[in-house]
Amino acid sequence: MKPLGDAMSPPDHRMIRTASTPFEFKAAAHLLFIEREQARNLAELLDALLSCSEGSIFQHTFRTLEEHHFIKEGFSNDFAHWASSELGVIGLGERLASLDVREFTSLSSLRSRLIQLVKDFLARNPKARELTAENPFYFCSSKTVVLPVETRARDLPEFIDGLNHVSVHSIHYHFIEARLRRKLETNDFSLWLDKELGLSQAASLLNRIDIYTCTLEGVKRKIVHILQNATD
Amino acid sequence: MEDSRSTPQQPETSQSQAAAPAARERRKPRVPEPPPLAPASVRLAEYEAIIGKSRLDELRFLASALSGKTVKMVNSTAVGGGVAEMLNRLVPLLGELEIKTGWEVITGGNDFFEITKAFHNALHGGEYALTAQARDVFMRHTEQNRQRMNFDEDFIVIHDPQPAGLVASKTKGSSRWIWRCHIDLSSPNTEVWNFLQPMVESYDAAVFSSPAFARQLSIPQTLFYPCIDPLSEKNKELEESHIRDVCDNFGIDRSRPIVTQISRFDRLKDPVGVIEACKMAKKYVDFQLVLAGGSASDDPEGAVVLREVMEAADEDPDIIILDLPPWSALEINALQRASTIIVQKSLKEGFGLTVTEGLWKGKPVIASAVGGIPTQVIDKLTGVLVHSVEGCAYQIRYLLTHPELGSQLGRNGREHVKENFLMTTNVQRWLLLFRLLSEGLNSASL
Repeated sequence: MKPLGDAMSPPDHRMIRTASTPFEFKAAAHLLFIEREQARNLAELLDALLSCSEGSIFQHTFRTLEEHHFIKEGFSNDFAHWASSELGVIGLGERLASLDVREFTSLSSLRSRLIQLVKDFLARNPKARELTAENPFYFCSSKTVVLPVETRARDLPEFIDGLNHVSVHSIHYHFIEARLRRKLETNDFSLWLDKELGLSQAASLLNRIDIYTCTLEGVKRKIVHILQNATD
Repeated sequence: MEDSRSTPQQPETSQSQAAAPAARERRKPRVPEPPPLAPASVRLAEYEAIIGKSRLDELRFLASALSGKTVKMVNSTAVGGGVAEMLNRLVPLLGELEIKTGWEVITGGNDFFEITKAFHNALHGGEYALTAQARDVFMRHTEQNRQRMNFDEDFIVIHDPQPAGLVASKTKGSSRWIWRCHIDLSSPNTEVWNFLQPMVESYDAAVFSSPAFARQLSIPQTLFYPCIDPLSEKNKELEESHIRDVCDNFGIDRSRPIVTQISRFDRLKDPVGVIEACKMAKKYVDFQLVLAGGSASDDPEGAVVLREVMEAADEDPDIIILDLPPWSALEINALQRASTIIVQKSLKEGFGLTVTEGLWKGKPVIASAVGGIPTQVIDKLTGVLVHSVEGCAYQIRYLLTHPELGSQLGRNGREHVKENFLMTTNVQRWLLLFRLLSEGLNSASL
């Protein structure tokens, strides 16, 4: 493996395979909307989780991870953070924080899992119903506008070069949000690398990057590092 | 303009002084220069060094679909106050993105602005008996402004309650009307809110600074966090020599740690609580406390609080109290940058832009968990939240003895501001709202 310090240079491939369909980098911009649902306790949180829009589920899980992309550890999603810091229910906070958004290809399945975690916790800790937060959980949702960023790649060196130029929001769009669009447990990068360049091993390795233990910049560096060492 | 409040406040001389009596001679600073009438204009490209080329490109892509669209911003004052300060930057930046943006200020007599001031206080929850006469004055001046102004632009943005009634000019045409509310409506006076609500609900969308400040409305409500401008006098990078000069001028010893709270002398900012916390912490660690703010000279209550603060300081030479004039942005910037720790121990707070400023300067921030502060200070990740004098004292001790943690919090805090609370993010939010309103709010997708 090459040292990480080389991450910004393209790989030394004798035979550079060219894709028939170039990879077009995009990014997403999001606008926050304030929704009607609020929760001051776990019963209200449960009710709101049942009734809120999928845009709210997206905002407080996928999107909040992007908003806090610079934090390496200790932040997973808004529900976990509120449960721990406002209600002081550390056990529930930990369970909610352990949710990996990449295990979900639909917001409805993610919503179901959140509801199940809160229900299970309340069943085991009925007294937790009595806890009231000073600061309520305000449900928001986000609407997304996809932006073409005019960076495209036909081969691996161009792809790595593109990665080095796009923002972390482009990484979030292709690497994390993509599974909701594609309904597949993978990402735009891996699909393209596998299909267009035949880099199945590298494509698979990308899906093993832990997005919860490094920043999005760190994720980007790891992707580049894997691709620098990729072989057919 | 008839609005008497829009006349720029003339600076008085020698208002600025370090107020600790025992050290008055040593700490008497030079009087800062009076403020410019408007901030120097900046180009979008100047933000590239701060947010990066890719983010700037994203802004331009976002704006490209709006090229040629027109916007009118309307508020109640051209100078003074955060809204005018923000519009001074936002309007030219939108123009540079080829969205022709105008800015108009409503006019009104003293009777009108006395009533809107009363509305403002009532919307914050104050007692107020709304009379028929007050309604008439409000509606009469609204009508006069409606007759005077044209609303042919694609987007009409009305800031705050004073001009809210202009929405009566909304027709079935293509203009989209947005009400940008900068104040906290969480517990308004019912009479005043009932008067304004039908106007507000005539807009196509409302914008609030926090979900906690919003109301249940029949129109979509978006969230725009308040923001700071990284190129403004208060936030731009400073030469080390300037920081040194300001500290020398105020008698601050930079070889020792500096703990600073920047805020006006107001009990809600709990400056006496900060002094108590520092006295507790000083049993274990050495540092100086700087309390810098304004309003003591032109606000009778501020002067009373300043006296209380000086009494609490008890002539301690390590407590440096600075009553600064309103045009001290560069001095405040330097004080924040010279600080080891920034404190904001407010008992009640709006969004808390002084916290944003401290975070932007990469400083570890210790702040109360009130108002908009928890949105900015994520406990132990982007700063430290406290709930008491004792908690504040402990965190000062801890951070002064664990500078590596302070550095980490400072780095995260700066990134948090860069991502969420900068002027460029504000520009992006406006572009997004304009696009979504143009295309229909249901057009967005993942």
